[in-house]
Amino acid sequence: MSDSDDKIRKQAEKLLKDGLKTEVFPRAYTQEQIQDVLTRIRQSDGSLEQRLIIGGFTLYPIEDEDIEQACETCMYYLVHRRYCELPELDVPVEAEWSCRLWRI
Amino acid sequence: MANLLWLQGGACSGNTMSFLNAEEPSAVDLVTDFGINILWHPSLGVELGDNMKALMESCVSGETDLDIFVFEGSVVNAPNGTGEWNRFAGKPMKEWVRLLSDKAQFVVALGDCATYGGIPAMAPNPSESEGMQFLKRERGGFLGPDFVAKSGLPVINIPGCPAHPDWVTQILVAVASGRAGDLTLDEFQRPKTFFSSFTQTGCTRNMHFAYKVSATEFGQRKGCLFYDLGCRGPMTHSPCNRILWNRQSSKTRAGMPCLGCTEPEFPFFDLEPGTLFKTQTVMGVPKDLPTGVDKKGYIKLTGAAKAASPEWAEEDMFVV
Repeated sequence: MSDSDDKIRKQAEKLLKDGLKTEVFPRAYTQEQIQDVLTRIRQSDGSLEQRLIIGGFTLYPIEDEDIEQACETCMYYLVHRRYCELPELDVPVEAEWSCRLWRI
Repeated sequence: MANLLWLQGGACSGNTMSFLNAEEPSAVDLVTDFGINILWHPSLGVELGDNMKALMESCVSGETDLDIFVFEGSVVNAPNGTGEWNRFAGKPMKEWVRLLSDKAQFVVALGDCATYGGIPAMAPNPSESEGMQFLKRERGGFLGPDFVAKSGLPVINIPGCPAHPDWVTQILVAVASGRAGDLTLDEFQRPKTFFSSFTQTGCTRNMHFAYKVSATEFGQRKGCLFYDLGCRGPMTHSPCNRILWNRQSSKTRAGMPCLGCTEPEFPFFDLEPGTLFKTQTVMGVPKDLPTGVDKKGYIKLTGAAKAASPEWAEEDMFVV
């Protein structure tokens, strides 16, 4: 499980480092916005690339109104596995990454 | 011997079903061991038609002492304040409620509809429903803010959808055995014995709450239901995890988010689409935080708790 996670995590990191354009903004702050993003992910081909793009991933935390939105503090983040457990995203991540579905 | 009369207004009978399942004490114990004489109850009463009407009239006239009047369901005022949509024994039920409340030593509102209006009183409230002495958080309701029963106590509110059977029978026993003076009521007239602690108190998922590990889907045995699935356990007053349901479990123990049914605002957000079983957030932070916790403190606590969380907290475990 861990090797497989590492492999996917590295793949995601490479995609983002290579300049994959992700939808960082607008952040999904309202219930409607959250639902829109989740629906789009569900309707996509489900590939890692699409999840990163629609989820709005970055390799660094986004800060808004003095709140740092890092995976590390997100409710969907499993600290020890370094994993985003939101069923639609379901992706290995790093603590300092961020996405627009962040919630605390 | 304490005479008890039980009527239903805008009700689904859920609290009656709950009451009949009581165990400590049971509905039968109330009669055999605690001297409660059930004059009439919608599911247990023998009298029908004119005999039932005569029984209620004898309570109203004072011929029969009415010690405890229990009302289940909302007080229906529609249409146009007449109460004609809910007639009973020849007149609008709300008239009986007024007459009997004025004669009773104790008035008990049972279930969320009788206490605060509940589901029938949610917008747009076509039945013009209200609770006995509250409409949601607003004190007043059908009997008015100044109403007190003959005993001097206001309406004793036992909320819940339904109320736990043992809350009902234990409160009835306290009243019938002359210990009503021991009942201290909170600001929403709920007995403090039952409604001071939170639903979360005793929840087997508390360790996941503490380490900020969220349940993300129903059926998961790990994870707290507050963070994503709309659980209101940390801000709802009830003993659901202290006095277990069916002596076995509770909603949250079984993986079902608490809906906050013992609070006056229930059902929250008027059941708008997307609000049920979904934690409402503002910029990613829960709109309703655990009681007494502010946003800044919550964010700090979450960061620290997640950083300190042990590996086992992320693993599936048997929590029922």
